[in-house]
Amino acid sequence: MSAFAADELVAETVDRLLLDLCSPDVVEHAEAEGWVPDLWHAFSESGFPWVSLPDTAGGSGGTLGDAAAILHAIGRYAAPVPVAETGMLAGWLLAGAGLAIPGGPATVAVGLSLEGARLVGDATVAWAARSERIVALVQDGATWKVASVPASAVSITRGANLAGEPRDLVRFEVASGAFDLAAAADGVDADALLQRGALSRVVMSAGALRAMTQITVDYTNERKQFGKTIAGFQAVQQFLVNTAQCSVRVNMAAERATRALAAGEPGITIAAAKVLTDAAVAEGTRAAHQAHGAMGVTREYPLHQLSRRLWAWRHEYGTASMWRRRLGTAAHRAGAEGLFQLVTG
Amino acid sequence: MIEFEYSELTPSERALQAEVREFLDRVLPPGSYHPALGFQAEKDPEFSRKLGAQGYLGMSLPKQYGGHERSAVDRFVVTEELLRRGAPVGHHWVADRQSGPVIAKFGTEAQKQRFIPGIAAGELSFCIGMSEPDSGSDLASVATKATRDGDGWVLEGRKIWTTFAHLNDWAIVLCRSTPVAELTDKRQGMSQFIVDLTSPGLTATPIPFIDGTSDFCEVELDHVFVPDELVLGSIGQGWAQNTSELAYERGGPDRWLSSYTLLAELLRLHEQQPLPDRIADVLGEALANYWVLHSLSLSVARSIDSGGAPAVESSLVKEMGTRFEQDVVTAVNAVVDEAPNMADTSTFSRLLISATLTNPSFTIRGGTNEVLRSVAAKGLQPSGGKR
Ligand SMILES: Cc1cc2nc3c(=O)[nH]c(=O)nc-3n(C[C@H](O)[C@H](O)[C@H](O)COP(=O)(O)OP(=O)(O)OC[C@H]3O[C@@H](n4cnc5c(N)ncnc54)[C@H](O)[C@@H]3O)c2cc1C
Repeated sequence: MSAFAADELVAETVDRLLLDLCSPDVVEHAEAEGWVPDLWHAFSESGFPWVSLPDTAGGSGGTLGDAAAILHAIGRYAAPVPVAETGMLAGWLLAGAGLAIPGGPATVAVGLSLEGARLVGDATVAWAARSERIVALVQDGATWKVASVPASAVSITRGANLAGEPRDLVRFEVASGAFDLAAAADGVDADALLQRGALSRVVMSAGALRAMTQITVDYTNERKQFGKTIAGFQAVQQFLVNTAQCSVRVNMAAERATRALAAGEPGITIAAAKVLTDAAVAEGTRAAHQAHGAMGVTREYPLHQLSRRLWAWRHEYGTASMWRRRLGTAAHRAGAEGLFQLVTG
Repeated sequence: MIEFEYSELTPSERALQAEVREFLDRVLPPGSYHPALGFQAEKDPEFSRKLGAQGYLGMSLPKQYGGHERSAVDRFVVTEELLRRGAPVGHHWVADRQSGPVIAKFGTEAQKQRFIPGIAAGELSFCIGMSEPDSGSDLASVATKATRDGDGWVLEGRKIWTTFAHLNDWAIVLCRSTPVAELTDKRQGMSQFIVDLTSPGLTATPIPFIDGTSDFCEVELDHVFVPDELVLGSIGQGWAQNTSELAYERGGPDRWLSSYTLLAELLRLHEQQPLPDRIADVLGEALANYWVLHSLSLSVARSIDSGGAPAVESSLVKEMGTRFEQDVVTAVNAVVDEAPNMADTSTFSRLLISATLTNPSFTIRGGTNEVLRSVAAKGLQPSGGKR
């Protein structure tokens, strides 16, 4: 079985697409321009952004595992496309609420509220200016509702995360009638969205950590000092092993959490994966950068495309300290005798 | 590239897990024993015999010799349950983990008949006779000499750090059987012997451990005769055999559960009261790591079952697993308000003291982390630009 229990063909196709269309130069260019039309077009043509959403709702079908395999590839290639937002997050909310899935990019906003029939609030929204629709999950009395807002109905100030990916500041003052509103699917609440968002960041980070390990191994096997490749030095091997360990932990965590969510029983898995990702990002980027010397800190070499994303994504969908405390609380609830059941699942 | 294929326990493995839990709840209820720190555990031959009778030892060994021909994953399930409870596994530990499997792999028919039934029954105990005063990480430099003598071999030399040599029955001893001067590679000319620890000329003297216990020994081999029928495998093949023995030592749950009982006791102390944030943080961080190490270790066991030789993966897991075990000890110490006092014999205090004193050994025993990193680095090769 392939990683994430994904369809082999999906995994291979997305990998080939990114190898062709998403070179480090393209990623660099996207940061300056904010968008790579060709890349989004290719994704859109293949239906990748809507994988895991049912055909009947306007999605591309496929499983959450397939969607994770796509996000993993996006992490590996540092691809500047809002696929997690369009499908796994906004698309999931829309499909669950029976609202239309737009043909272009969509994204999600959290922390908004309904005032009467108006949608109001301020939010930092990934790729807002590039999206057709901004989708919010809002509380209406005791129920959760999904609001689908045309991006043209809000005021957007451009912003970016540490990796130069659009994280726009959006002010919502949207009158009723200017957006669609429908009840969220059963079980969809702010926490469910938070968990999915966190999982998307874990999976992309797993991809980025894997690629970071590989380019660090490649670089240290080419770079020579003292008459030999630096990968031959024990001290440098230590960095390689360290980076690999970080990658391996997060990849295993990403896969276990994806499968748990797909089975409808996320339990502690996403919290654990997010905590592990935070530590691995700190340890892994430190080791990979150290192994690269000065080359790692120039914009002319692609390590930064991965490390800056890793540093940016760890802030999204809950801090490690929030998730860690949740895990601690889960351990407390389980008690000393029940703790190991959480480990083995 | 290093790959850990994701794996889950199958329904029958889950059933085994439930069975082991039920069994241990019955024979080893909390409060009836002193929980250990992982495999650094007391010898309790009676407990080992109970495990043997239940079919939980020698699990992967051939049935015709009393083994159970079960999988590496089944053994993983059993050892995880034993270690997380801090069960007294000291008596059978080495025999079950490595001596039994190497005898099954390299031993003669007579050796298998002689030793495997006792190992699977939890009766026979074995030691690892690898390290010497002048040979630690550089094991190929062992100097204990094996010299041909009539129908056997005479061993002459000194082994050290040999855990339980003063109490156990047997040791598998790595020796030099051809002088290095006659060889092109010092890894040639080595051989393994199954040595009776009651042999004339053999003296095992306990060495005091940092926490005041004395489980490991210096073993003097002064003209110890080993008959031909106790040569393990082939003369001259000791290095390859020993390397394969090391593979059984690495990558298992014993390499990340050594401080689990300490963490569980910390949790127990807070069970009936609101959980302070700083304790929640320690528990949360540790839980995340146990959770993923379980999956990584399971993946290694599954790979062994499908015929893989995950030496690199095992080293990678052991290296980070043992560092994590130490991190847990550091983290628990950081949230303990009262300084540990040797007069306090509560379970938590006993574990905290022992873990604090002995945790430096976690990253040394079974191959140091530096050596493991060198092994793991061999698995990290250029990709030709593929991500
Ligand atoms: C609790 C405990 C129980 C043990 N039980 C047994 C047992 O039952 N049987 C048995 O045979 N042995 C046993 N050992 C011994 C154990 O296998 C050795 O301690 C271990 O292999 C390291 O050898 P050493 O202690 O001689 O350290 P050394 O090899 O002297 O190493 C000292 C330091 O130098 C580093 N170093 C050495 N060589 C290199 C290198 N090439 N590159 C980088 N760094 C290097 C090491 O990593 C370490 O940090 C036990 C050890 C402990 C602590």
